[in-house]
Amino acid sequence: MAKIKKKGTSGQAKNFITRTQAVRKLQISLPDFRRLCIFKGIYPREPRNKKKASKSSTPNTTFYYTKDIQFLLHEPLLRKFRDQKALAKKIARSLGRGEVGDASRLEKNHAPRLTLDHIIKERYPTFIDALRDLDDALSLLFLFANLPSSAHVPPKTIALCQRVTHEFQHYLITTNSLRKSFLSIKGIYYQATIQGQDIMWLVPYRFVQRVNGDVDYRIMATFVEFYTTLLGFVNYRLYSTLGLRYPPKFDTRSDENGAELAAFTLEGRSVGEAPKAIEANKQTNKTSNQEVSREVQAKVDKVIKTAGLDRTKDEQVVESTEEASDAIDKFEPTAPEADTLPQPDLSIDQAGSLFAPFVFYVSRETPKAPLEFILRSFGCTRIGWDAVLGDGAFTHDETDTRITHQIVDRPSLPESSLPAVPAASEDAVQKVRPGTRIPGRTYVQPQWVWDCINDGKLLRADLYAPGATLPPHLSPWVKPSRGGYDPRASLAEQEEEGEAELDEESGSDEEMEDATDDKKAEAKEESEAESEDEDDINGGMDVAETDEDESGSEEEEEEDEDFGGFDGEAASESEDEEEAARTQHQKELEAEAAGLPFSSGGAAGEASKKKSAQAKKIASKKRKEEEELERQKMMMSRKKRKLLEKMMYSNKKQSDEAAKLRSKRRKLEKGEKGGQK
Amino acid sequence: MNASKLSKKRKAVTRDVEEEAGVFSGNELNVGDINGALSDNANELSSDEEDSEVELIDDFSDDEDEEEEEELDSDEIPSDGEEPLKKKAGKPAADLEVPTNDESSSEEEAEVNFRIEKDANGNDRYIYDEINPDDNSDYSDVEENANTIGNIPLSFYDQYPHIGYDINGKKIMRPAKGEALDALLDSIEIPKGFTGLTDPSTGKPLELSQDELELLRKVQMNEIPAEGYDPYEPLMEWFSNKQEVMPLSAAPEPKRRFVPSKHEAKRVMKIVKAIREGRILPYKPPSEEKEESLDLVSFDLWADEAERPDHPMHIPAPKLPPPGYEESYHPPPEYLPNNKERKAWEEADPEDREQEYLTTDFGSLRKVPGYGEFVKEKFERCLDLYLAPRVRRSKLNIDPESLLPKLPSPEELKPFPSVCATVFRGHKGRVRSLAVDPTGVWLATGGDDGTVRVWELLTGRQLYSVKVGEEEPVNVVRWRPGKDAVVLAAAAGDDLFLIVPPILDPELEQASLELMDAGWGYAASKPAPKASEEKKTTPPQWVRPSSALADSGVCAVIPLRYVAKSISWHRRGDYFVTVCPGSSTPASMAVAIHTVSKHLTQYPFSRRIKGGGPPQTAHFHPSKPILFVANQRTVRAYDLSRQLLVKIVQPGARWISSFDIHPTSSTASGGDNLIVGSYDRRLLWHDLELSQRPYKTLRYHRKAIRAVKFHPSGRYPLFADASDDGSLQIFHGSVTGDMLSNASIVPLKVLKGHKITGELGVLDLDWHPREAWCVSAGADGTCRLWM
Repeated sequence: MAKIKKKGTSGQAKNFITRTQAVRKLQISLPDFRRLCIFKGIYPREPRNKKKASKSSTPNTTFYYTKDIQFLLHEPLLRKFRDQKALAKKIARSLGRGEVGDASRLEKNHAPRLTLDHIIKERYPTFIDALRDLDDALSLLFLFANLPSSAHVPPKTIALCQRVTHEFQHYLITTNSLRKSFLSIKGIYYQATIQGQDIMWLVPYRFVQRVNGDVDYRIMATFVEFYTTLLGFVNYRLYSTLGLRYPPKFDTRSDENGAELAAFTLEGRSVGEAPKAIEANKQTNKTSNQEVSREVQAKVDKVIKTAGLDRTKDEQVVESTEEASDAIDKFEPTAPEADTLPQPDLSIDQAGSLFAPFVFYVSRETPKAPLEFILRSFGCTRIGWDAVLGDGAFTHDETDTRITHQIVDRPSLPESSLPAVPAASEDAVQKVRPGTRIPGRTYVQPQWVWDCINDGKLLRADLYAPGATLPPHLSPWVKPSRGGYDPRASLAEQEEEGEAELDEESGSDEEMEDATDDKKAEAKEESEAESEDEDDINGGMDVAETDEDESGSEEEEEEDEDFGGFDGEAASESEDEEEAARTQHQKELEAEAAGLPFSSGGAAGEASKKKSAQAKKIASKKRKEEEELERQKMMMSRKKRKLLEKMMYSNKKQSDEAAKLRSKRRKLEKGEKGGQK
Repeated sequence: MNASKLSKKRKAVTRDVEEEAGVFSGNELNVGDINGALSDNANELSSDEEDSEVELIDDFSDDEDEEEEEELDSDEIPSDGEEPLKKKAGKPAADLEVPTNDESSSEEEAEVNFRIEKDANGNDRYIYDEINPDDNSDYSDVEENANTIGNIPLSFYDQYPHIGYDINGKKIMRPAKGEALDALLDSIEIPKGFTGLTDPSTGKPLELSQDELELLRKVQMNEIPAEGYDPYEPLMEWFSNKQEVMPLSAAPEPKRRFVPSKHEAKRVMKIVKAIREGRILPYKPPSEEKEESLDLVSFDLWADEAERPDHPMHIPAPKLPPPGYEESYHPPPEYLPNNKERKAWEEADPEDREQEYLTTDFGSLRKVPGYGEFVKEKFERCLDLYLAPRVRRSKLNIDPESLLPKLPSPEELKPFPSVCATVFRGHKGRVRSLAVDPTGVWLATGGDDGTVRVWELLTGRQLYSVKVGEEEPVNVVRWRPGKDAVVLAAAAGDDLFLIVPPILDPELEQASLELMDAGWGYAASKPAPKASEEKKTTPPQWVRPSSALADSGVCAVIPLRYVAKSISWHRRGDYFVTVCPGSSTPASMAVAIHTVSKHLTQYPFSRRIKGGGPPQTAHFHPSKPILFVANQRTVRAYDLSRQLLVKIVQPGARWISSFDIHPTSSTASGGDNLIVGSYDRRLLWHDLELSQRPYKTLRYHRKAIRAVKFHPSGRYPLFADASDDGSLQIFHGSVTGDMLSNASIVPLKVLKGHKITGELGVLDLDWHPREAWCVSAGADGTCRLWM
């Protein structure tokens, strides 16, 4: 007889371990376990069968792989954690005894330093792996770089985050590897391509972040600790591939003056340069702090140029694959039914030369940091701004004649409405009255910059003139999909056959209602929320009813024809509903006729009749299609049918969404036309 | 003499202390005797010392006072074990010596210096004279009692009571010593453990054992009283300065043993002083530069990067999706929510919202506020990264259309009934049954009101009505197939009626009447059933109807005695089979076959069909002489010509309501096809060639299926079922000619229109013989023509 197998010794029961068990096994506290998991990238797993995996009857448990925990057991950090715990005990003891000096000494000198180098190497064996996982790191670090310092977030951490992110931005500027950017509600999205890896991150707008109570900063700080180390190593690697010295020179003085990006000075590393020389440089760096930021800027420019040369040389030697040919040929499909393969849309050269010939001046009201970053990454080297925005500008003088483009973001107000500028303004730079236009330069709104880089070409600046209604700002990442809605394409291209007519028919009443609703709402302003409520409800009801009305004449037929024999109960119910709705609608129609005279009549009646006939035809066709589908479904096996229904559901959701957008647009377009008439 | 005296004395003492005085006296008295004996011994000195001693003793015993000696001996035996042994050994020795003594005596016969005496045994005993040494002897001047043993150590005599011999060869007895006293004391018999004390508790003499005495002694001597204790054992150094490989105890040296070094203390104090004065900094604070430099990366981590194969269990964190148009600060206007959507979003719980933000158009960048949930969102992302289990889900990225089976399009399958063309109203109560006549002109119906009505099919005009049942409903109506005559069979109550409705053109009516009348003659000519045959199961005789009925067209009445619920005509129109499914019907009379030409009724089954309850319905095979009879659960096929059970079909339904046989069965090369409807909502398609079990089970009705019917002509591969849920379903079921492919069934249409009254919907249906039209009888009292 075979040996009786003991329960819980093999299979899922052995492969999975609950969190409590894991913590016990590692003999560390839960917060330490959390930190360790974050550092090591260990995440819980979902067992295929929870009941088999857990030994207890408690249903809600987190499971880890036993082997993952086994792996954590060998982590050198564990010892550091224990040291930390021991130190914490010592500090607590000396504090208890009132030996504050002792405690501070212990804390200062004996705190074990965690080094995450080995973990980074372990988690990202190759540099590409690290680049691939940089999305979250950048987003979080950019957030922390913009956070105010608090008890949870020490200024040191913020400074470190700022430093690494600026260094990273400098790399992107140098290599022109920023590709896309998008102004969203949440913040500014950027996408860069480094060594073939697309990295996307989100930078918040510069406002003080609202912090809710339910945010645990310890967890975030752990992530930040890991990410700063990671980004530091990535930066080192990126800089060294360019032949630049890392870390770049950091001018604390200009940083204090708000130079931000300009506080860094990139330096090339010559072949013979030894680490000693770097140290010497450091010392000189300190002494040369007094230099004017403009000079620094000039230096930066110079270095960037040289670095660019370096890079091209390097790449010719090392990475010939990435830049084998200068420009990629555009492949155009010759036949419409063929698949189109995605192609990189912007090469480095194009990106590097987009804004190269221009001199920009950034007005005070525009966000300097993102604009500077983007302009620089797309080849612009001469950017001026107001002195209040900080150091590092090409010029602080708004009247500088070299300026070709000025980015402004203020409404164009008539001259008279502007408050008078104080006559005696000593400030030499602040000579220009806000709102005045200096001839010889192009005034654009900030969105122009983003739209230009996303399109990869310079757009018409007059569309983005100050005070003008901007064209919609579109996300560069949305690819037009089949059945999806694309705002770029015209409505006629993407709508289904006869959809417009159908929609018009059904929508006419609704629209009316909506319009009146809106009008009422506007008229009433914020008078009573209740009335608005009612209106809304009415509108909603009407939508349903009009639909019914449209197909009302065919209702009978539909009832007869519909092959919905399987949900007959529902059908009968809906029948009742329909009937009720119809009568109600009749009443409403009467009321409407009494109150609001219906505009459509006479000559328009004929056209509408025709249209309605067409709509009817389309509707019946649709119904037929549905019937056919039902028939086909009947012949499928249950399993397949379920699968199909699932797929249909998601597809339908998408297409419904698209249809909704189309109908909205149709309405808008109609409204516009009406307005034009 | 002193010595000898001493020896004598000792001897005596050793022997017997009590008779010391006597011994002394005796010794004095018997000197001569003793001497004589001694001399004897002296001669033999060389031979054996022991012997001599023995002799001596013998002498003592013999010569002096034997009685005493014996007495002594007897006394001595327990105390001294040595002596008796010696005595025993001595005796033979003495005997042996006798001859030697004789020889010597013979040598010295010349000068006889002895006298022969008789000893106690009567033997000769030589008693020598004392030797009188001359004056010229060297020993003359020697003291008489001096020891003569010569230059040998005295210790040789340690074992003996004497210490040598005097000049006369007499033993010089060892002078008495303390030991002698001891010996005396030893010799005194005292009880073991005698102490001389009295045990105060018992009053008896206190006796102590040897051990106790020993103990006492040790105590007295200040020794350790324990037995076998050696106070001076050789020292084993268990704990020494030597480092053992396996020490007895590995306990560390206790601190109490530590003696601090005064020198060190001095030096420490020096340092302490220096620290106090600030000359030495105990902890050098790390310079800030150093600290900063620790943060800086100063080496390339991926200098020697090596790709590692991805672990199959590792799932990288999914990236966040890129933002869509609706996230733009200035989106296209169609993405903006209208009032309703905005309201819905605001009212929804933050967790339920599909988007965490509300799409808003800010118009220009300066108006964009900070996003309040930014930190929270990032925090949640962090939580997801380390807390959310990751699962790989394979997303099926195929066109859902490809899953759909390829069906012939409805256009190809046309025509089939889809709309209600005519409604036949007139029946009061339910319409139970209907039938379209073989020409396709009339529709016959029978209902709960007991009337049989004939309608014009296309117009819905009622042509003819006859009330055949008084109270009973008309359960079933069926036209006779064939166009040569028009006969309608109807079952109402216990009777069957054969009707020739008077709506025909006269020739056809005449032909029909003739057909019906022909049988009367046959029935009459046939002999009446014999008495023996007249049993309960006697087939009924056809009778002429009452005049009222006859006027209205009824030609013949068959009193079946039980309620028939099913009528089915044979293809040629001469036979029809009726089934009375009632449970009270005797088994043999449930199924009856009627012959129109002979006006004859037969009961083909004498016994109840096994298994599955009473028979429900029966049909003739369209081409073969086979009768299909369905009971509640099975359908059985009987070969009428051979009178055999051919096949049993098991649809698996609980209660079969109806079935139909495909009209082209067995005419086309394909096998028989059968559809079965059941009260448990199933419609089953049977291919009899395939299996007894259904080929397809269709469950599209929510209520019981009442009737199923194939289209009677082979032109349209249609079939339909009528259900209590008020709907008819039309299917396309084409039977292919070849054996390889199975029948293909395609659902086509659900026809709704009948109102459900009293849980009943559509009770019967029939097809038009040529067109793809069908007629249904509803419980709502109407019939509908669908075309």
